[in-house]
Amino acid sequence: MATKQQPPIIQSKDDAIRWQDQLELNVPKVGDGAPDFELADVAGAQSVGLSSFRGKRPVALIFGSFT
Amino acid sequence: MDGWDVGSQYRTNDPTTMEERRKVASDCESALQYGVKTYVDEMDDKVMINYAAWPERLFLVDIEGQIAYAAERGPWGFKPEELEAAIRAL
Repeated sequence: MATKQQPPIIQSKDDAIRWQDQLELNVPKVGDGAPDFELADVAGAQSVGLSSFRGKRPVALIFGSFT
Repeated sequence: MDGWDVGSQYRTNDPTTMEERRKVASDCESALQYGVKTYVDEMDDKVMINYAAWPERLFLVDIEGQIAYAAERGPWGFKPEELEAAIRAL
């Protein structure tokens, strides 16, 4: 389970690496239960929960930051 | 702009509200047309933190809800061909 973390203000590549190192402590590994979540789409209209796919189909998670 | 200049023509400030964040995500979806549905993390970045997914990362969750594939952290670990191989291996 992830500890409470606040994203730092990243002003350099070293800041980014330190933030990634901190996040890496909690990364889910192969064989772990995938942390559940429920998120809304870009319109804020439709939500999806990861656990709703259990027993039905696998899910590819493609995470990206556009800012 | 208060973000990082990576040479892109797209310029935006880091969103400070969910409305701003959804607008940026929508712009990304439109610009890249990657063909999958986009969902937006809340301002607390809880999902990003739980998956150590900054700035980008790939996972495959199997039908039992377990992690079947976990990429190395991005950007250098972002390898769609590995995800494809993991999907084919299911």
